[in-house]
Amino acid sequence: FRGSKGRPRQDGGPLGAQLLGRRLGAPIGTQRVLGGDGDVPILTTEDNIVSQPAKILNFLRKQKYNADYELSARQGADTLAYIALLEEKLLPAVLHTFWVENDNYFTVTKPWFASRIPFPLSLILPGRMSKGALNRILLTRGEPPLYHLQEVEAQIYRDAKECLNLLSHRLGTSQFFFGDMPSTLDAYVFGFLAPLYKVRFPKVQLQEHLKQLSNLCRFCDDILNSYFRHSLGDG
Amino acid sequence: MSLVAEAFVSQIAAAEPWPENATLYQQLKGEQILLSDNAASLAVQAFLQMCNLPIKVVCRANAEYMSPSGKVPFIHVGNQVVSELGPIVQFVKAKGHSLSDGLDEVQKAEMKAYMELVNNMLLTAELYLQWCDEATVGEITHARYGSPYPWPLNHILAYQKQWEVRRKMKAIGWGKKTLDQVLEDVDQCCQALSQRLGTQPYFFNKQPTELDALVFGHLYTILTTQLTSDELSEKVKNYSNLLAFCRRIEQHYFEDRGKDCTFLLLCIHGNF
Repeated sequence: FRGSKGRPRQDGGPLGAQLLGRRLGAPIGTQRVLGGDGDVPILTTEDNIVSQPAKILNFLRKQKYNADYELSARQGADTLAYIALLEEKLLPAVLHTFWVENDNYFTVTKPWFASRIPFPLSLILPGRMSKGALNRILLTRGEPPLYHLQEVEAQIYRDAKECLNLLSHRLGTSQFFFGDMPSTLDAYVFGFLAPLYKVRFPKVQLQEHLKQLSNLCRFCDDILNSYFRHSLGDG
Repeated sequence: MSLVAEAFVSQIAAAEPWPENATLYQQLKGEQILLSDNAASLAVQAFLQMCNLPIKVVCRANAEYMSPSGKVPFIHVGNQVVSELGPIVQFVKAKGHSLSDGLDEVQKAEMKAYMELVNNMLLTAELYLQWCDEATVGEITHARYGSPYPWPLNHILAYQKQWEVRRKMKAIGWGKKTLDQVLEDVDQCCQALSQRLGTQPYFFNKQPTELDALVFGHLYTILTTQLTSDELSEKVKNYSNLLAFCRRIEQHYFEDRGKDCTFLLLCIHGNF
């Protein structure tokens, strides 16, 4: 589970999960991604292998690493709601930017991903993830009356931009979403936004929109500087 | 819908006031409609009641096929047809009625986030239970879904729909979930809704919004639908403020207006 700044990921969380781990003081180093059953990201400890961001966060919580003790019940509920918003509205467009948009996928995502997993998985896994991403987008958003891929694409990017605007409104001028200390929600949002913000893509429409929302950019920069400084040089 | 088409529809919508003969179409209530569709239909009905807009409910066996997006319910207003709660809210807004105008930007963001939570967890759990849980599929869903059609069409359509839903569940990562995990997700969602509602009458204090309509639609349907077991409704019954919320909306927007609705009384006071 590498913590690299330029790392693309499949769904909103490995960077976020790593952020949360670091914030809570759990020792999370960089480890090679094992193939497993093709699920990334993967967290490995002495005797456990956990995949998928939500499960990783749950795992950390059960190990008594929890960023949400100081949150009220209502803020905990808000966290769940905003995570649902991110998954429904932002995730399809992010998946598209990284895994479906041909220019981005072939010039950035695929080479980067393939270089970090062992052969022969490097030949199979990126293609599988790309197909999975397209499949997910079409099955969840490609319903009538949107019949063409271009119309679906237009709709998902529109939803993603609206979602970014909503996040920006919600964050306002605060440092984090719930006050002065980062919580699970900050980790999730960061996990989505940071790669989108920092990775250099040929096709950048969502990135351009994000860069106009200065408070979200400041949010990403703050977290990168505070928690990821020593791995900034890696990738 | 493309941006141009949307703007066009909005303009047409704004041109005419809400007519008296607006109708809402759903599947047949007694024999055909399923949990998730019933919830969606009730949510739209509640929303229109909250906006004080008259609507007549019409049940048709082929409602799903008549709908422009393939989903129920849809409303027929003037010479326009709009389906699903999201687009209906936009359409009604274009006609000058809105429940969420009084909210500021942060509250609107929160409202949208909670609506996604309901769609993401409650609706998906309902779909899972209906189409992926073998007991429910065998005893209830197949029979109901295919009921208006002769053999063998009833089986073919039911299997086709089941295949479609299972494919979607797999794509979003729910394919490998067990029923217990799904019920736990429902519990988490209800807990979040309960915590957000607190002791207020509605989610944004004194006035209901489309979020209240959506939550009411789903929770009320879960509480009043007979399934193979009571596990799903038990999850909701754990939260007394949600029960009171449903009762309040039922009383205020349905009973008081002489609408035909099943009573929740036994549910709450019997406490079973």
